[in-house]
Amino acid sequence: MSTTFLAAVCVVGIIGLILGCLIAFTAKKFDVEADPKVEKVRELLPGANCGGCGFAGCADLADAIVNRGISPSRCTVISAAALKNLSAFLGVEAEEKEKMTAVVFCGGSLSRAARKAQYNGIMDCRSANVAGGGGKACAYGCIGYGCCARACPFGAIEMRDGLAVVHPEVCRGCGKCVTVCPRNLIRLVPASVKIHVYCSSADKPAARRKVCSAACISCGKCIRADGQGRVEKQENGTVRINCENPPDISLAETAGCPTGALQTEETHRAIQPISPKETQK
Amino acid sequence: MSLPPHVARFTGGIHPMDGKGLSNGITARTAPLLEKYLVPLHQNIGAPPKLTVTKGELVKKGQRIAEPGGFVSVPLHAPTSGTVGNLTEVPGVAGNTLQAVEIISDGKDEWGSGLDPIVPWQEADRKVLKQRVADGGIIGMGGAAFPAHVKLSPPPEKTIDTLIVNGAECEPYLTADHRLMLERTEAVLEGAAIAARILDVDRIFIGIEENKPDAIAAMKKAADAYGIQIVPLPVRYPQGAEKQLIFAVTGRAVATGGLPMDVGCVVQNAGTCAAIRDAVVEGHPLIERYTSVTGTPVVHPGTWIFRIGTPVKEALKLAGGVREQPAKLILGGPMMGFAQSSMDVTVTKNTSGILLLTGRETGRYLSSPCIRCGRCVSVCPMRLLPGPISVMVECENYALAEHNFVMDCMECGACTFVCPAKRPLVQHFRRAKAEINAIRRARKKH
Amino acid sequence: MPSNEWLLITVGAILVNNVVLSRILGICPFLGVSKKLETALGMSGAVTFVLTISSFVTALLYKLLLSAEITICGTTVNLSFTKFLVFIVVIASLVQIIEILLRKFSPSLYRALGIYLPLITTNCAVLGAAELNAGANNGLGRGILESTVFGFATGLGFGLALLLFACLRERLELSMIPRPFRGTAIALVTAGILAMAFMGFGLLVK
Repeated sequence: MSTTFLAAVCVVGIIGLILGCLIAFTAKKFDVEADPKVEKVRELLPGANCGGCGFAGCADLADAIVNRGISPSRCTVISAAALKNLSAFLGVEAEEKEKMTAVVFCGGSLSRAARKAQYNGIMDCRSANVAGGGGKACAYGCIGYGCCARACPFGAIEMRDGLAVVHPEVCRGCGKCVTVCPRNLIRLVPASVKIHVYCSSADKPAARRKVCSAACISCGKCIRADGQGRVEKQENGTVRINCENPPDISLAETAGCPTGALQTEETHRAIQPISPKETQK
Repeated sequence: MSLPPHVARFTGGIHPMDGKGLSNGITARTAPLLEKYLVPLHQNIGAPPKLTVTKGELVKKGQRIAEPGGFVSVPLHAPTSGTVGNLTEVPGVAGNTLQAVEIISDGKDEWGSGLDPIVPWQEADRKVLKQRVADGGIIGMGGAAFPAHVKLSPPPEKTIDTLIVNGAECEPYLTADHRLMLERTEAVLEGAAIAARILDVDRIFIGIEENKPDAIAAMKKAADAYGIQIVPLPVRYPQGAEKQLIFAVTGRAVATGGLPMDVGCVVQNAGTCAAIRDAVVEGHPLIERYTSVTGTPVVHPGTWIFRIGTPVKEALKLAGGVREQPAKLILGGPMMGFAQSSMDVTVTKNTSGILLLTGRETGRYLSSPCIRCGRCVSVCPMRLLPGPISVMVECENYALAEHNFVMDCMECGACTFVCPAKRPLVQHFRRAKAEINAIRRARKKH
Repeated sequence: MPSNEWLLITVGAILVNNVVLSRILGICPFLGVSKKLETALGMSGAVTFVLTISSFVTALLYKLLLSAEITICGTTVNLSFTKFLVFIVVIASLVQIIEILLRKFSPSLYRALGIYLPLITTNCAVLGAAELNAGANNGLGRGILESTVFGFATGLGFGLALLLFACLRERLELSMIPRPFRGTAIALVTAGILAMAFMGFGLLVK
C-alpha cells in the first residue's frame, strides 16, 4: 500500500516539476513587459465601461491615463472618493471635480407645445428628425420620442407628457444623452445649479410664443430682476443662466417670467402648471 | 451616330396606381400674376445664394436678386418686376425653415434680366454657354435640385460620351414633364442639344415612359433635326431614377458609390433642358416652371406654369380649391415627395407637383415586425436587402448597415410601398444615412 | 487499424458525439465567447490546439506510465487512479504556456479572449477528451496516435459548435427578443435547439 502511495506521489510530483520548469522557461523566454501601474489604475476606475470618457472602456482609459498623461477626471462617472484614491496613486493633485448633471433645455411638454402635424412614423427622435421633425411645431424643442431616455445607462431620464426630464439624483453626468439628442437640447451643467431657462429656440421671439406656451420670449425680465449679469442673453437669442455664478433659485419667483421658461429644476421635472399668469386666469 | 439603344430592364420596381389621368390631358395654363411672391433663398443643393438686393429696391423681371454662394450654388432672379419687400421666413419642403425674400409685383411684368440671347448658340464658345447655364440659376428640376452647370462640368479625367434627358416621369400623379414635352417639344430638344454641346457629346437620348405615347410621338417627329434619339421605356417605378435610366438606355450599370459620370453619362431632366434653352436662346433665367396641381380632392386638377415663389395656397386656389377635406399635402410625387405641415410653403425650382391626398388614400398604419416575405428585396431597384437593413438600423448597428450598402439606397420607396408589415423602411434608411454621414464627417475631422 | 476506424473517430468526435452539443462539455466558453464570430474563431483555434497537444501528452503518460503495471521493490502498482491529477496538471501547464505565447505574439486575441483563456484549463472538454481517451477500450486507453486524432477532432467539433453558435448569436443581436428572454436566456434556448439539431447526426453511425 505504502509503495503505491509513494509511487503516486513521486510520479505526480515529477511530472509537475518537469511541467513547472517548462512554464518557467517559456515565461522567461517570451516575457511581455506588463505595466502593473495600468492594471492598478484600471482597478481603481469604476469599471462601468460606459465609454463616457471617449475611450473604449475602462481598460483603454487606464492605459491612456498612465501612458498618455490623460487626467483621471476624464472619467465622468467616478465618485469623488474614488477619484481622490486614484489621484493619490498616480501622485497627481486631485482635481476638484464638480458633479455634472444633464439638463434638457426645453419646457415644451405636449400640453404646452403646439402641434404641426400628425406624425405617423418610427417613434424615435433621430428617425423623426430626418422626416420633418415629429409632431411638435417648434423646430428647436424636444421631439419627445425618448431617444435620450433609452440611451441613458442609468435610467435617469423619464418622458413626461412628451418631454424628457432628468432626475439629477440618478444622473451621473456621463453625457450619453447629449450625443444622441438630434436637437442638441441636452447639456451637462454643474449639478449645484438648480435654476435654468428651459428653452432653446432660436426663432424670433414672437414665433416662439406661437408654437409653445412655455417658450422664452427673450423679454429680459429675469436679466433685469437679477441685475448682476448672472442671467445672460446669448448670441442666438436664447437666455441662459451663468452656471459659474448662478443666481439663487428664488429668482424663479421674483423675476416674474411671463411664460415660465425660467423655472427651477424641480418644477421642470414635475411638469406642473408653471406660468403664474396662466394659472391666475 | 451610334446604334439605336437597346432597352435594358432594371431589376425590381413596382407598378403603383399612377393617377396621371387626372391631369395629363389638360393643357398647361400660365398662372396669372400675383401681387406678391415669396422666393426662398436656398432652393438648391450646395451653398445657399447670397441676397444682393435690399428692401425697397426696384427690380425687373428676371433681374438677379441673389448671387451664388459658391461653385455648387446658383443665382436667384426676380419672378416679376416690382419692389423688394421684407426678408421673411417660409417653411421649407423638408420641414425646415427657409429665408425668403418678398417680391411685390408692380403689375407691369417687365423683363430686365441683363442676359442677352446667345444666337446662334451652335457657334458660341462652350464656356460661354456653361456660364449662361450657371447665370440662369438652373438646377435639376426633377426634384434633386442639383445645380445644372455643375453636372455639365465633369472633371477632366472622366470622359462623357452620352447625354440622357430624363422624361420618364415615373412618379404617380405628376404630369408636369409630360405636358412640357408635348407643348414645348422644340425647347426640350434644343436645350438638350445645347447641353450636349457644352459636354461635347453627340449621343443624346431622351427616355420617356410608354404611358406618354403622345409625348413620344411629338418628340420623335421633331427629334431628328437635332440628332436626338427617343427611347420609349417600359412603365415601371422608379424608371426615372438616374441610375435605372442610364441602365435602361445604355445598358451601363453605375457601381456602388459611383456617379453617372463614372459610366460616361450625364442625366438632365426634361424641364432642366427647356430652362437651359430659355436661358441661352431667350436670355430668360429660370423664374417659372411647369407644376402639376393634382389629387382627387382638387376640383380642377391640371398643370400650371407657376412663377418661382408662388405660395402653394394661391396655386390651390387656381385649381379651384378642394371638393373634400384633404388629409395630406405633398410637394413632389407621392413616392418621393415630402408631406407638408403648413400651407405656407412656396413653389420652388424643383417643385414638380402639388399633390393632395384624402384620408382614404393615405391611411395610418401600425407597423409590425418584418415577416421576411422578401418582397422588398424583389422590388428594390438597387438590389439591396431593405428588410434586413431596416432591422440593423433598428438595432442601431450602422456599421453593419453600411456594410450592406445602405448608402446606395436612393429612397425611392418601392420597398415601403410593397411591405405587408407596413414597415417605415425608407425612414430607417434616411436615418441610417444621416447617422453614417455624421460618423464619416467626425472621422474626417479627427 | 483499418482506415474506416480513423474516419469513425473523426466524424464521431466532430458530429455524432459533438463535445458541446451531445456530451454537454465545455459550456462555459461556449456561452462566454460566442458573442462575436472573431473571438469565437480565436477561442476555437486555441481550444483545438490545447486539445490536440493535451490529448497527445496525456495519452502518452497514460499509456506508458499510468496504465502500465510497474513493479517497484517487488510490489506491482497500478497508478491509473492518479490519472485525473496528472491530466489536470498537464492541461493547466499547457494552457499557461499558450497564454504566455499568445500574449507575446497576438496581444489583441489575448485581450479579446480575456478571462476565458486561462479558463481553458477548467474547460471540461479538454479534460473530457483526455478521460475519454483513457477510458476507451475498457480502461486500456486508445493508442497515442488515435488519441491525438481524437483530441484534434474533438477540438474541431468544439470549434464547429462555437462558430455556429456565434453566427446564431450575431443574428440574435438583430432580433426583437421579449425582455425576459434577452441575454443568456435566449442563448441557452438557442443552444438547446442547436443540440437537438445535432441529434440528427446520431443516425450517421450505427
